[in-house]
Amino acid sequence: MINLTSAQEFTPSWFEQLPEIPGARLAVGYSGKYVNYNQAKAAALELARKNMTKQISVRLVFDLEELSDGRLCLLNPSFKEFISGGILQTVANNSVVIDSAITEDDYFVLLAYPAGEYQLIPGAGDKTWGIRPDWIENLPNDKGYVFGVGMVARYRSWIRAWYDADEYARFDLGKNLQIKAESVQASRRDNRTTIESVILKQTYDLTLKDVTIVARWFDIENNAYYSLSRAPRQ
Amino acid sequence: MKKLLLFVLLITVALFTVNCGGKKPKAKMEDIPEWYLNPPQAEDAIYQAGDAVKTSMALAKDAADARARDAIARTLELKVTNMMKDFMQQSGLGEDSEALEFTSNVSKQVASTVLRGCQIVKREMKTEGANYHGYSLAEYNLNSLVQETLNEARKQKALYNEAKANLSFEELEREIDKLKQVGE
Repeated sequence: MINLTSAQEFTPSWFEQLPEIPGARLAVGYSGKYVNYNQAKAAALELARKNMTKQISVRLVFDLEELSDGRLCLLNPSFKEFISGGILQTVANNSVVIDSAITEDDYFVLLAYPAGEYQLIPGAGDKTWGIRPDWIENLPNDKGYVFGVGMVARYRSWIRAWYDADEYARFDLGKNLQIKAESVQASRRDNRTTIESVILKQTYDLTLKDVTIVARWFDIENNAYYSLSRAPRQ
Repeated sequence: MKKLLLFVLLITVALFTVNCGGKKPKAKMEDIPEWYLNPPQAEDAIYQAGDAVKTSMALAKDAADARARDAIARTLELKVTNMMKDFMQQSGLGEDSEALEFTSNVSKQVASTVLRGCQIVKREMKTEGANYHGYSLAEYNLNSLVQETLNEARKQKALYNEAKANLSFEELEREIDKLKQVGE
């Protein structure tokens, strides 16, 4: 167990970059300030189990509509996620925490599935965030994998921020796999102006397997959170 | 009650106006990515850019991505129409009205079907006052496009006039091979 100093300035290295252990799936969980460490650990563990379940299989339903006419625009994205209660139970019964980290404000756990004896990760101590990773601007070019990026900013709660960044990264990966895109455009012209109207709709409903949040990065200066998801290309 | 409703409505309209084209700082030229102004060109892929200004970073990203993908979808219909016209002419059916309808059906179907493997390969997020300005570059592999067209044409062929249904898809298949060679 590592004792770090303060929230989000230092994190365990496996929170920023998920390591790989042959034969095991890894997922992280995190929680904020609790009355005692036991409650904090329980909350972090619950999230880690859910993340592991989503990694094994998750159904994502995405829907986005945009209506704009040059002056007004309405954007309505909808994100729905479904996980299997059976898989969640299996994960709860057959997983093990292989590392944890505590600061005054947060608790991190690294969960491995299936349960077993795994070696502790060398050099997983406290670390500050590294330099801005290239994957934020340029999607990694690896033909064996599909990637997705999630980003959020100016959140008051870092827990909510990481949770949303992770979710957006999963949904982004789905969009990169396949998406139905439809739109209608119309132009109206009078003596003075031309008004372009657009109705855009994009949707998908996919069950994704093996989607892992493999990297995260926190932009301290701009209070922005980034997550990178990855799945093997099938 | 009516006054309250009117107030809420006015506030909502005002918020959307500010968010979508009202008083907002303009993008500085040096902030605009080069690939947004001049999207890359390749023989085996289509690139289209999109952008959006929103107060939320996540929404700016979603909207910019959606607009880039929409631009790809609109380019596809044109590409498929041209590809199908060439193919129909080579099959000796180019001027036939049923052939034109067949071409149009395939183009529309392919353009409105699912975009497979349409990825946002580059992205930049700039701050403009309190807003985020997201820029996204979408890439769509033409190999997938020709494959989708071929699949759709085969499907539509069953519905096409039987007398003219002896279409050979060799030309389209040759297109796929050509694109595969470019990709290698």
